[in-house]
Amino acid sequence: MNPPIRKLFYVTVLLFASLIAMLGYRQIIQAQDLAENPQNTRKVYAQMRIERGLILANDRIELARNHKENDLYYRLYPTGDMMPHLVGYSNPTYGQVGLEHSQNSWLTGTADEVELVNLVDTLTGKQKRGADLKLTIDPGVQRIALGELQKIGKRGAVVVIEVKTGAVVAMASNPTYDPNELDSNWLALNADPNAPLFNRATQGLYTPGSTFKILTTAAALESGTFTPQSRFRDDRGTVDIYGFTVHNYRTEPFGEHNLSEAFSESINTTFAQVGDQLGQNRMTDTMEDFGFYEKPPFDLPADEVAASGRYENGELLKPDDPMDRTQVASMAFGQEQLLVTPLQMALVAESIANGGKMMKPYSVDSVSDYNGTIVHQASPEVWKTPLQPDTASDIKDMMIKVVNEGTGSKTKTGKVQIAAKTGTAEVTGSGPNAWFMGFAPAENPRYAIAVVVEDSDAGGGIAGPVMRETLLAALGL
Amino acid sequence: MQRNRELVNFLPVVVLMVVGFASVYATRSSQMDASSLTYGLLFVGLFMLVHLFLRLAAPYSDPFLLPLAALMSAIGIMMIYRIDPDLAAAQTTWLMVGLGLLIIVVAVLRNYRRLENYIYICGIVGVLLLVVAIVFGQEINGARLWLKVGAFSIQPGEFSKVLITIFLAGYLDSKRELLSTTTWHLLGIPMPALKHLGPLVTMWGMSFALLLLMNDLGTSMLFFGIFLAMTYVATGRLTYPVIGGILFAGGAVLAYNIKGTVHNRVDIWIDPWSDAMDRGYQLVQSLFAIGDGGLFGTGLGKGYLLFQNGEPIIPALHTDFIFSAIAEELGLAGATALIVLFLIFCYRVFKIAIDSDDGFSKLLAAGLGAGFALQTFVILGGVMKLIPLTGITLPFVSYGGSSIVANFGALALLLLISNRTNKERRS
Repeated sequence: MNPPIRKLFYVTVLLFASLIAMLGYRQIIQAQDLAENPQNTRKVYAQMRIERGLILANDRIELARNHKENDLYYRLYPTGDMMPHLVGYSNPTYGQVGLEHSQNSWLTGTADEVELVNLVDTLTGKQKRGADLKLTIDPGVQRIALGELQKIGKRGAVVVIEVKTGAVVAMASNPTYDPNELDSNWLALNADPNAPLFNRATQGLYTPGSTFKILTTAAALESGTFTPQSRFRDDRGTVDIYGFTVHNYRTEPFGEHNLSEAFSESINTTFAQVGDQLGQNRMTDTMEDFGFYEKPPFDLPADEVAASGRYENGELLKPDDPMDRTQVASMAFGQEQLLVTPLQMALVAESIANGGKMMKPYSVDSVSDYNGTIVHQASPEVWKTPLQPDTASDIKDMMIKVVNEGTGSKTKTGKVQIAAKTGTAEVTGSGPNAWFMGFAPAENPRYAIAVVVEDSDAGGGIAGPVMRETLLAALGL
Repeated sequence: MQRNRELVNFLPVVVLMVVGFASVYATRSSQMDASSLTYGLLFVGLFMLVHLFLRLAAPYSDPFLLPLAALMSAIGIMMIYRIDPDLAAAQTTWLMVGLGLLIIVVAVLRNYRRLENYIYICGIVGVLLLVVAIVFGQEINGARLWLKVGAFSIQPGEFSKVLITIFLAGYLDSKRELLSTTTWHLLGIPMPALKHLGPLVTMWGMSFALLLLMNDLGTSMLFFGIFLAMTYVATGRLTYPVIGGILFAGGAVLAYNIKGTVHNRVDIWIDPWSDAMDRGYQLVQSLFAIGDGGLFGTGLGKGYLLFQNGEPIIPALHTDFIFSAIAEELGLAGATALIVLFLIFCYRVFKIAIDSDDGFSKLLAAGLGAGFALQTFVILGGVMKLIPLTGITLPFVSYGGSSIVANFGALALLLLISNRTNKERRS
């Protein structure tokens, strides 16, 4: 009976070897896939064992910190509803959004740059701790931006960018929410028709209206065919492009005027003609030069930033998606399926203020490990160069005129010269969306801004003070 | 001298015990108090007591079995203690009962071959235990394996397994001449007389009935596997396991088609992901835990095994899924070491079978070894999704009174067989 017993043992060896092989497959080869499986919540809990780094504003006040309970770290947001859309949250139940999500590897100390320090500390018995983020956000400006939106009681967004660097100084989205109260408010927040969880500053897509005339003007001036002094006539207050009638906002005719005046008075009929003459290719080339049709390279997770451009049924169209002449003409004054984000329009304003160079926007100024050593420092980078300096200067002059003599007089202040462009876009079933974008001081620009206010008054005037007060706060005036 | 070797073999066990308990205590001290460290001492004390007893009662028995069983139980209790200190206390009690049974069996059955006169009683009791489980048992996870007696839950299958192995050893030993004689051919395969095929058919029928009535693929596979292995050892003919395997496969296919629970288990095995929150939850969480372990594991007490409220993330973590916990906290290195430990144990058992000089002893040892190996394979293969999952304990390691007590009972038989063989060799 011994040979069968031996064979039985060989079978046992074989069976156990297959167990070890399978175990090796699961623990080594498949381990990564298992860890990244979306149904696997172990990672979130594993990370809760790590003391996350702090998130600090530019004056080092804490925007996110930790409290420890039963060996696990939970996030606290001391500034409450001030800027949850940018900072985001890290919650074991609801996951991570915002910078908490996109900067997770810094915050948990798993980024390569801090991993070594952590390894050494682990070996020497120190508790592992994530790296701190210092943001470019100025809480003073942020409070004013959000406060102005709340004061008029409208949904909307404000983005303020430092002209020379692309640093985001304020990014407000109203209505807002308190990330400390997610557990009790989650269902209500999701059901709220005002969508408080939604970051209007980077994801909100709005018809640009007349603010888009900046791009049409840029395309016109860069084409060489037009100058600010190019002459136009408006005798009827309307113009026909291939059977499509364009109306001006004001019904009485503007008469004889030049491009600069058409810009400051926001004359649709003139821009429709300019756009028609430039054609689709020049128009879309200019849009792409300004960063349309791609997501701005911002610090937030990619799915929290939207690209600007022409949309159809919620989908971004390709730049070369064919348009007929009437479509090009109406796009020239900011209609025709165009949708833009406040961040994008702030970048447009920034590029004009910065002599034609659009800086890469960023909100994380520096990252330091818990020894205080800076492991990452943001350096300003040019993202796009949509304009020649001369063109930028011409448009700047027009934008000054908008404030001093045109549609932007609501933003005029004796304290500083502001340059601006306004826009309104009709919305069926509510008041129009109002835009104000621009920069200050006009002569030596420091901050660029874009403001959008939903459901505003007819002329969109209530958005003007939001822009003015926020710029004054940024300038310390 | 065997017992001195056994004593030496205990040294690494004691060291591992102390290190293990100390590290669990160190990482989870906030939830535990230092008095729990006395488990380690109690544990060592108990096995030393059994060791001393064996010096008197079975001095020539195999010197590896007891230390190996001690090590496996130690790993089990350590893990159970880490999951829930209260359960570790209960398991320690069961361990004492198991060691008590071991002492009684060794003392009473010194001449274990007398069992050959009582094999039918063993067989009948073994079958009755299963019938009782089926008739009076509680259904847990769709399977009828548990019998509630007062405050205790008993798994009669664990005892039945040992009893039926004893029956088969005696029965096959007496019938093996007949079973190995060819009287006719089926499709060119030499076959024994039809009337001697009776037990094979009966056993197949019983396993299949088990499958249908208990709703448990694992238990029936285990019983039938033990039977096939022992028939093969008795006759030396592959015909039996081959035909038996085909019969069982046929039965399994049939069961897959008519029994929802079996169907479920197989579906989950093929794709646990599509229903990962419900039917596939246990297996998916087990795979996540195993995957987390990596090469060296998270470290004892540092794995993510429990929810905040102390409930285990994987249901049945301390019983069927204890290996998932071990694989997470000790990694591929530790879990492989444990599998190798099981293999060494199997090796010693099969060696006892080979060394012994009578048919009954050989068959008994080989049967117990095959059962041990198969049970280990079924549950480990199940929790790592190598084969369809079926709830069964990991011998010596899993939490469970029936399992621990029955396994120490079987261990006692193996000690007796080796004691006799080695004693005769010396004289």
